[in-house]
Amino acid sequence: MKKLLIIALAATATTIVACSDVKRTPGTIYMPDMAYSRAYESYADYSNLTEKGIHYTAMPVEGTLPRGAELPFHIAKDVPGDTTNYFASRAVPNPIDSMTEAETIEAERLYQINCGICHGTKLDGNGPLWKDGNGPYTAAPKNLIADPLVSVMPDGQMFYSLTYGKNLMGSYASQLNRKQRWMVIKYIKIKQKEAKATAATTTAAK
Amino acid sequence: MISFRHITKICLLSALLFLGFSTVNTVSAQDGKALFTTNCASCHQVHKPSTGPALAGVEDRWPNKANLYSWIRNSAAFLKTGDKYANDLYNTWNKTAMNQFPNLTDEEIGAIITYINSVPAPGAAAAAGGVADPNAAAAAESDNTLLFGILTLILAVVALILLQVNANLKKLADEREGHSPIEPVPFWRNKSYIAMITVILFVVGGYLTSKGAMALGRSKDYQPEQPIYYSHKVHAGINQINCQYCHTGVYQGKQATIPSVNVCMNCHMSINEYNGEKMYTEDGDEINGTAEIQKLYKYAGFEPGKPWDPSKAKPIEWVRIHNLPDHVYFNHSQHVKAGKVECQTCHGEIQKMGEVKQFTDLSMGWCINCHRETQVQFKDNGFYSIYEKYHQDLKSGKMDSTKGVTVEAIGGTECQKCHY
Repeated sequence: MKKLLIIALAATATTIVACSDVKRTPGTIYMPDMAYSRAYESYADYSNLTEKGIHYTAMPVEGTLPRGAELPFHIAKDVPGDTTNYFASRAVPNPIDSMTEAETIEAERLYQINCGICHGTKLDGNGPLWKDGNGPYTAAPKNLIADPLVSVMPDGQMFYSLTYGKNLMGSYASQLNRKQRWMVIKYIKIKQKEAKATAATTTAAK
Repeated sequence: MISFRHITKICLLSALLFLGFSTVNTVSAQDGKALFTTNCASCHQVHKPSTGPALAGVEDRWPNKANLYSWIRNSAAFLKTGDKYANDLYNTWNKTAMNQFPNLTDEEIGAIITYINSVPAPGAAAAAGGVADPNAAAAAESDNTLLFGILTLILAVVALILLQVNANLKKLADEREGHSPIEPVPFWRNKSYIAMITVILFVVGGYLTSKGAMALGRSKDYQPEQPIYYSHKVHAGINQINCQYCHTGVYQGKQATIPSVNVCMNCHMSINEYNGEKMYTEDGDEINGTAEIQKLYKYAGFEPGKPWDPSKAKPIEWVRIHNLPDHVYFNHSQHVKAGKVECQTCHGEIQKMGEVKQFTDLSMGWCINCHRETQVQFKDNGFYSIYEKYHQDLKSGKMDSTKGVTVEAIGGTECQKCHY
């Protein structure tokens, strides 16, 4: 009797100690036929569709455009070690001539989300990932206002870098569509112009 | 007199010259750091290869100083001279052209090199920060619950003993007064005991059963282990990356979208080691951040130091946490863009989570409750411009603008909004 009691006590103690409040399993489903989709949802496993006789492609037909989309950028990515296309892209003009106030706000939002993290909220090349060299990022992001190269870089060449990436910067084609990329570039150009104007007035005042 | 003038002239001249020289000489290591940051740091690091080679020991590698200086000022022109070292270098780095810096003076380049030589190798300057052990804090917390449990147990035992003592004393008193003691009914045959226990069992059992039944199909607090320990705390919290940087689709469509590997590589091409505060899993095991980044490289098919070919990348199969049943339609952009709801309203303080946990139970009651209480963000919101009557009522004061219009008022609790 005493032995049994000891065993029971030891068992309870181990269960209590071993119990963790981290929930690693999702739990049980009630009426699974209503919970799981019969149709293929996003992030479902597409790999075995053809085996089931379903022919489906998630990519739009090549050469088609959604309504209202910007026309494609016809300059291809350079092969490594070549810069021909990078310089050829200078000739491509920005299809966006001017932006309304709402569009500027949207462009600023896109800039702050996608670019500000490295190039700084004030475009000064000092975003939270760089932090004067104290952040985790190891390469200094370009100062979009003061850098002698970027401040005079044509829109098309910036579009090339945004689309294909440049040095350690990756391609942003999957995060921003063509129109959004042109809008961000326009926003940077507006900011560069403003900075130049204020610089001119301060030197004139002196 | 003349000689005196002459002396002053010489004195002045030499003072000027000295001043001139001293300004030149002040291009020191301090400025070297600034110069390095503005001109070189985009492509070079001191001790690690980046877009270009690591610069530590650059002076010793180049055959002579003049070549190095002219390479820095105009690398393209210097390549054309056919210098063997320069051409070899150009080819090993996949013919990546170096930017030209024609305006750097000899002193400035010298200062940069002085700075490069002054930076200690990373191994030498390893300093472990005194990070508090969160395990200890967690242990202290669980200790508290244990303490409460033990206290309750002791109190229960004391109460039982006291009851027993009370019964014995009563028995003794009865005997002394001459009452014949009533033979006590054992508690398993005592009807009032049985009734009480039945009621308690019924209430507790009913509560547990209905709670368990309601929890079916809901997974609040679900916190699965992911293929890579990806910490939202490090990314969205400490490093302030906007949620939408990775979850691009949240403003545009139904899904918030899980980022593809190329989005990770936007930053992790450069960031290949973790030096932040210590990370722990929910179970208390320590995580090696650098090893987790290596896992990412394996998925991406990236070898540090070589150019990355994104076509070799394989998707990371993250474990999905938030699931809605098939018969519910939920759209992220409707809530985030039109409704202007913060991510944290439904996902909790995600910027403080090491491992993501389902914050809400995602039950229908929870959805409906929010739709009843939340005001529609009418102001400067084109999406709701068609509700003209509400706009006018709000303007004319017919409707209290502090209370506003709830989501329910514009049909947010209609069945077919979410079930169709």
